[in-house]
Amino acid sequence: MTLFQLALRSHRTSLITTALALSIGGLLNSIGFAQIAGDNPAARALFAQQMELLARQLTYLLPAPAQLDTMAGYLTWRWFGSAVVIYAFWALLAGTGAGRGDEERGLVDLWLSTGVSRMRLIAARLAGFAAVAAISIAFMLAVTDVGAAIGQEPLPLGPLALEGVALWVLTIVVFAFALLVAQLVTTRRSAAGIAGIIVLVLFMLNAAARSGIDVGAVRWLSPFYLYERSTPLLRGGSLDIAATTSLAVSALVLLVVAVLAFARRDIGGPLFRGAPGKPRVDWRPARDPLLRTPVLAIVDQQRVWIAAWALGLAVLAGFLTSTTKTTVDALGSSDIPVLRAYFERAGITAYADFVGVVWFSTLLLLISLFVVAQVNGWAADDAEGRLEMILSAPVSRARIVIERIAAVVVACAVVVAVSSVAVYITATSTGISLPGGRFVVASAAVLPVAYAFAGIGHALVGWRPRGAVVVLGAVAVAGYFAQQFTPLFQWPDWVNNLSLYALYGTPMSKDDRSGLATLIAIGLAGTAVALVAMRRRDVGR
Amino acid sequence: MTSAISTRGLTKDYGAGHGIFDLDLSVEEGEVFGFLGPNGAGKTTTIKLLMGLIHATRGSATILGLDADRDAVPLKHRIGYVPGELPQFGGWRGSEIVAYIAGLRRDVTDNQVEAVAKRLDLDLGRKYREYSHGNKQKLALLLAFAPKPGLLILDEPTSGLDPLHQQEFYGLVRDARARGATFFISSHVLSEVEHVCDRVGIVREGHLATVGQLDQLAGMRAHRVEIEFAGMPPIERIRGIPGFEQVVVADHRVSGMFRGDFEPLLAVLASSRVTKFESREPSLEEIFLGFYK
Repeated sequence: MTLFQLALRSHRTSLITTALALSIGGLLNSIGFAQIAGDNPAARALFAQQMELLARQLTYLLPAPAQLDTMAGYLTWRWFGSAVVIYAFWALLAGTGAGRGDEERGLVDLWLSTGVSRMRLIAARLAGFAAVAAISIAFMLAVTDVGAAIGQEPLPLGPLALEGVALWVLTIVVFAFALLVAQLVTTRRSAAGIAGIIVLVLFMLNAAARSGIDVGAVRWLSPFYLYERSTPLLRGGSLDIAATTSLAVSALVLLVVAVLAFARRDIGGPLFRGAPGKPRVDWRPARDPLLRTPVLAIVDQQRVWIAAWALGLAVLAGFLTSTTKTTVDALGSSDIPVLRAYFERAGITAYADFVGVVWFSTLLLLISLFVVAQVNGWAADDAEGRLEMILSAPVSRARIVIERIAAVVVACAVVVAVSSVAVYITATSTGISLPGGRFVVASAAVLPVAYAFAGIGHALVGWRPRGAVVVLGAVAVAGYFAQQFTPLFQWPDWVNNLSLYALYGTPMSKDDRSGLATLIAIGLAGTAVALVAMRRRDVGR
Repeated sequence: MTSAISTRGLTKDYGAGHGIFDLDLSVEEGEVFGFLGPNGAGKTTTIKLLMGLIHATRGSATILGLDADRDAVPLKHRIGYVPGELPQFGGWRGSEIVAYIAGLRRDVTDNQVEAVAKRLDLDLGRKYREYSHGNKQKLALLLAFAPKPGLLILDEPTSGLDPLHQQEFYGLVRDARARGATFFISSHVLSEVEHVCDRVGIVREGHLATVGQLDQLAGMRAHRVEIEFAGMPPIERIRGIPGFEQVVVADHRVSGMFRGDFEPLLAVLASSRVTKFESREPSLEEIFLGFYK
């Protein structure tokens, strides 16, 4: 197997994931546009007008809107403006993985010991990622175009290919940047953290400029700004040659510097080393009492991770809540039948209802994904020998199952509490009156959903550890889409009821104790299956 | 003497001949038992069965009078364990790992940890991912020895240790043994077993080949010898040396497996011009090839 093939293989899972997930997103957006935008010029114009009002509030997230009465304009704004962030995130993880992840696993030592040069190694990793990124983007664009064709408004192939080029070049720039950052630090986690913060800052820089804040020529530093200068799918738009060339040259420069840094540094070491510190030897166990406390020991081990989720969700909560008034004003009075029906079926008649529907549906999805990440950790505990080490202590397998699930619920409680406080403070400061009691109940009711996911997740881990994450992730995402699209496309209620989130109900407006009881019952059933599966399984296989 | 470990027909069948089959074995209390075998012979599978980490296809194992599978939890209070494959703890500090496992065990004091850490010269303040393989192995040894258990089940315990710390490990074994601990040590290195074990069991391709006292191993003691001559080797005289087996001649080079007294071999070599002489401990697989032929 050649180095290039190895590089392709290392991106196999992420290629499949991004290609499938983003294709589904593209398909839903293109079909969705055809469904809601209307089929005559007057309806389209009205739709575009309503969407522009909304788009003006979303300039922190999405590009400036243009030609929203067309499929191409809508997709350029709504879909490609989102997809580029996801591709950048993927490139960030792939770049740090290629720069440090392989090294942490000892693979770089192995490859270099076979006589492969460092230059060739990085070139192969870059070529591998460039190839899979091209495949993923091409597939996503093709499926999106299928959706557009179903909506009777196919996208022209030439401009679509140019959109792909713009997306691909930005993805490679972020990959090269992450690869360079990985040369400066010693762990993949640090590299991902630092590169992620810088990429976020560059994104926000462009977002600020879009929102009317004068950032001057500094905005040219943001690859997202350079990407958005290309609008090949719009009428009169084109690929911005200067911006795209700038991105390509940036990628090249970053790669060259990354290669030079990789050639210069020690394997396992950073590019720059500080002066060695005074050695201090520690012979005793850590004094942290939480590490010796059941359940809290697991929470304590993940304190940074939990804090990051809590903070991230708090920021998102604050942002979504801050846009509530303008969104409801823009869409709630809409003359577009589909949107009016959506608001009616979702029970949105006041700002507080909108917070209840939009925030809690988003929170449910994100908390479920948090649980999925925990389930991934449980599977890794087994594969990486930690479970074996824990079981060498006098600890029953049942205790491990129960402690893990309890720890997830505690961690979710922390994340939910922090983000709910953010919602409440933002709502109060923007003049939205939230019913305090109901809001607390609605926040607390998220925990049975987390418990149900954790129970199912542990049952799956006990049965098929390697497939658990994929299956549970699919349950979460499919459930979210079922819940979101049922009112939008006026699907029958049973589609919505397939979603676990349907059992959460609408606690901001009415009590649904049977739904919550069902969620707890699902969690209990999952726990019971997990206990049996854990008891029966062979550890490490 | 009572049995610390007793297995009867213990079998774990992974299919295609992999696993351990019909293992009947007894290890007495206070004994240091070596479990020898080449890679893939079934040593780790046996140890995981004893630790209750995997379930037997058939047969049973009794440890300190309790069922190894059913009573795994109470048994662990009395067992120290070193896994064959070291776990990954990423960015945890050594001190955090020890605190976490100590919290689960609840039978190890900070002073006990400190004593073993000092003996092994293991800095617990560093992150696990920064540890060398040898330091990770030391941490596993610390976790096994610090609680002072009555039985230690160690899977390739000296893997990655430098000779100095191998000696320290032998010292830990001697001290634990002096207070009556029993050991079940797997290894594929003959010399390691010779250092500490009273009795050995030899496993090959999933089956127990033999169990015996350490001195019975003397018949297996062998060296892989390679000799390079300046001229043509005295082949007939070499083939006549007692204990020199599996002799292969290629141009000016002679190689083979040598057992017994070196005197006759050196006498033959003294009359020839030797440009290179190498003698090393063979792998168990090499020994088995000769021993069981």
